Amino acid sequence: MNKPQKVSGKPRKVGSRSDLLKLLCEAAELEHGIACSYLYAGFSLKRELAEGGMTWQEQQTVRRWASQIYFIASQEMLHLALVWNLTTAIGGTPYYLRPNFPQASKYYPLNAALALEPFGPSSLRRFIQYERPQSVKPERNLKSLLTVAGEDAAEIEFSSIGELYALIESGFRGIGEQELFIGSPDQQMTPALIHFPNIVAVTNQASAVKAIETITHQGEGTRIDRDDSHFGAFVAMLKELLDSKSRGAGFAPARPAMVNPSSGLGLGYGASANAIDEPRAQQAAGLFDSAYSLMLRMLAWSFQVENSGIEAQVKEFCAVAIDFMPRVILPLGEGLMLMPAGKKYPGKTAGPGFGLTRHVMLPGEAKNARKLCGERLQELAEIAAALLENPLPEPVARSCTHLQQIASHF
Amino acid sequence: MARDFDVVVIGAGVAGAMTAYRLAQDGARVLMLEAGSRNPARAQMVGAYATAAAKTLHSPYGNPETDSMAPSPDSSASYYDQPPAPHTQYKSTYERRTGGSTWHWLGHTPRMLRSDFKMKTLYGGSRDFPPGMVDWPITYDDLEPWYCEAEHEMGVAGSDAEWDGLSGSPRSKPFPMSMIWPSYSDDWIAQRINGKKFQGTEYLVRSTPSARNSQLYDGRPPCAGNSICVPLCPIGAKYDGAVHVAKATAAGAALWEQCVVNKLDQDADGSVHTIHFVTYGGVQQTVTANLVVIAAHAIETPKLLLMSGIANSSGAVGRYLMDHLSKSVFGLAPDKLFPFRGPPSTSGLESFRDGDFRKRRAGFRVSLNNDGWSRKGAPYAEIIDLVGNQKKIGAELQAALFERVTRQVRLSCSVEVAPDFNNQVQLSGTTDALNIPHPKITFMPPDYSYRGLSQATKTMADMLRLLGATGVDLGSDDKAYDGAGHIMGTCRMGDNPKTSVVDAQCRTHDHRNVFIVGSAVFPTVGSPNPTLTLAALALRAAKDIARQLGAKPSSAKSSGGAKPKGPRR
Repeated sequence: MNKPQKVSGKPRKVGSRSDLLKLLCEAAELEHGIACSYLYAGFSLKRELAEGGMTWQEQQTVRRWASQIYFIASQEMLHLALVWNLTTAIGGTPYYLRPNFPQASKYYPLNAALALEPFGPSSLRRFIQYERPQSVKPERNLKSLLTVAGEDAAEIEFSSIGELYALIESGFRGIGEQELFIGSPDQQMTPALIHFPNIVAVTNQASAVKAIETITHQGEGTRIDRDDSHFGAFVAMLKELLDSKSRGAGFAPARPAMVNPSSGLGLGYGASANAIDEPRAQQAAGLFDSAYSLMLRMLAWSFQVENSGIEAQVKEFCAVAIDFMPRVILPLGEGLMLMPAGKKYPGKTAGPGFGLTRHVMLPGEAKNARKLCGERLQELAEIAAALLENPLPEPVARSCTHLQQIASHF
Repeated sequence: MARDFDVVVIGAGVAGAMTAYRLAQDGARVLMLEAGSRNPARAQMVGAYATAAAKTLHSPYGNPETDSMAPSPDSSASYYDQPPAPHTQYKSTYERRTGGSTWHWLGHTPRMLRSDFKMKTLYGGSRDFPPGMVDWPITYDDLEPWYCEAEHEMGVAGSDAEWDGLSGSPRSKPFPMSMIWPSYSDDWIAQRINGKKFQGTEYLVRSTPSARNSQLYDGRPPCAGNSICVPLCPIGAKYDGAVHVAKATAAGAALWEQCVVNKLDQDADGSVHTIHFVTYGGVQQTVTANLVVIAAHAIETPKLLLMSGIANSSGAVGRYLMDHLSKSVFGLAPDKLFPFRGPPSTSGLESFRDGDFRKRRAGFRVSLNNDGWSRKGAPYAEIIDLVGNQKKIGAELQAALFERVTRQVRLSCSVEVAPDFNNQVQLSGTTDALNIPHPKITFMPPDYSYRGLSQATKTMADMLRLLGATGVDLGSDDKAYDGAGHIMGTCRMGDNPKTSVVDAQCRTHDHRNVFIVGSAVFPTVGSPNPTLTLAALALRAAKDIARQLGAKPSSAKSSGGAKPKGPRR
């Protein structure tokens, strides 16, 4: 894959469909990768007092942090969906690929690595960098918040995702509307097809700008520093965490999950990923990757096809993919963090690698796409059944059972 | 004469706190006097609720001092002095606490309709139309900008597409946040009933606007679906009056808690400047103000006026007590709907709120609920049945419980109660620990409202039929109702001082410097939840109060008088 073009530096003119599609792919990759990074931190937050490291009062705070992180991640997923609608509106196809974790800080113009890391000061500082608006209120004292004693205290400089969306918006505004919007309106995903009530169907310049504004207002493209943005939420969370830690030594809100796990080397992961070293956790992580990949393929297919005449199948694919998130992905992700990572990682638990391994794209023909999905679901249900033959943490077992139920109803 | 404050606001609930906030922002010296307190704190209340054997509205809020010295119908079953059953009962209750009863409200914020302000003009004249039903002295258009303000202050999530123009009631601004997403069961029900009709009225499921964050808003987190909005949002995603208490104090207002106001003195010129209150320690004292705002909800407010013998030249203080008649019906859906996820209710039907039928019967809203049969004890009742009667244990018990609970459906209605002169709050002969009379309540739903309740029950029965529900429970008594928690009326607003207590600005007819804010001033109630309307009225009144204060500069301000630091305990 070619290295994406940097969006920082001198202003660029987005003068062609091709330019715009490249930028949309970059946005899709970023939204997607950032969502995974947030989910990983959310999975790592403890639920039960029996896990130790928190009082019941602190548990309330930890659950609130988790719900906020999951909420922000869900907004990133909405952003990805909006980017897909923007892409198909101008004749492209939904782009869901991305390099596996970790990604070096220079890969994107963020100057911040995309990594899978449990909740803590380090991951929160990274999230703040992703979400930093173009201007930050001086009273934030951001530099001191992002700096820890003993760490590099240099000024953090990076280009913002807001710049990327500004370029995308300039393309949608600058290129002639009639020339640009060649995608079929039937390709647009709407709330009638998917349980994403805030999704915007993009059919012209006005709706494209509305979709972009939805993204930038909520999240990482915001131009001004607002307490109610993702940035404001992560800053508040980091302050609260640092305050809590300064008050008491025993507070440990996160599970000791490893960093950048992979379900195995040579499966599409890069050399800098950390292969899980315990067979059962490795199998569960492999199931996670496969379920995650199938979910993405079903969603991407639903966003790509002209849905007229096949609405029922599009709805079904979307419903299964959305159902996967709370019933399969969430408990499996959390449950992996209750499984030992293996001898190579003493004291650490495993985690999901969000591996996008080699797979075939679903065909445009609806009947065949359904057949491929059905067969793959059955295969995953069989893997889940095999895992269930041995004792598993409760969330992992629950996820496997849900997967079997979904497969049996498909 | 220098007085202690420019304004004393009695009651630190949503109406009082919003008024205090706006006036403090304008530079007025404001004191909020609150009978309850801010304790326990939210985290402690979450713990108290989690560990309470019986989950009631009051479970999180138990505070031995307040429960003893400033009791409420939530903390004491005998607080209301009303004739025992089978006489009809007033069933809605409230909390005396800083932030008020919004702590345990559901958070729904539908607006009143244009027609709700013009009931007599539009529908009056027939024999079946209640004599107490009047027009408001203000219109929907007068209040519309203040609805927008209130939605902004509280943080309301809603769908512009679904609500703009509802029954001729347009919106001038979008909701501050996009809607709380409908639950799975909402969508499932909508697919089966939308477009169908009951006696000519079309079913259409709409998301219900709520003062519940659908995103980060005003420094508070988005709803995380804890499902226990009533009695307590554990994370503060749902708005409560404490939000504006904090804003008011940050803007400079003083807050004295555990101070129970028991008398207001009328001066020779008819104005009221002296407020008597008693602390939990029994210390009786006074504070003075240029202007008094009474914001003690619709039962404590008339009680205080009656105790003080003021504002009642009309004889209407305490009269026209209202609520909404609420009723739940139950069924088992043919499919699993997975209740107990998300807020207890996220959608409803508005089609039955207005129409020509209001000449002879009340309108109503229908809510789709996400709380299974919890009103009938679920899931504990099912466990007791499955274990005790059906002898199921282990995986078999789990499977049977899952099968039953996941299909539970509850629909509920909220029926307009017509104002009736005889439904009232008076002073009881019994008193509390501070020697303050309990409220004596007389309440009998008018036939107009019973007819609405009957129609609502038939409508919900038809909905359950369309859903293919089994095990349907419509209740055995046609006239049985629950309280909706919507305590309204008792100090009605009107242009005529002979028949109403306050004018269109919420100023008492009898005392130019006494205002009443809150649902007490509603002359009629329609069928929406009242909090947004009372908040809009409070914000509107605050502007008039500020204007009145500005017209006659505070003598305390001009004399540079220092405000008292706090009450003697």
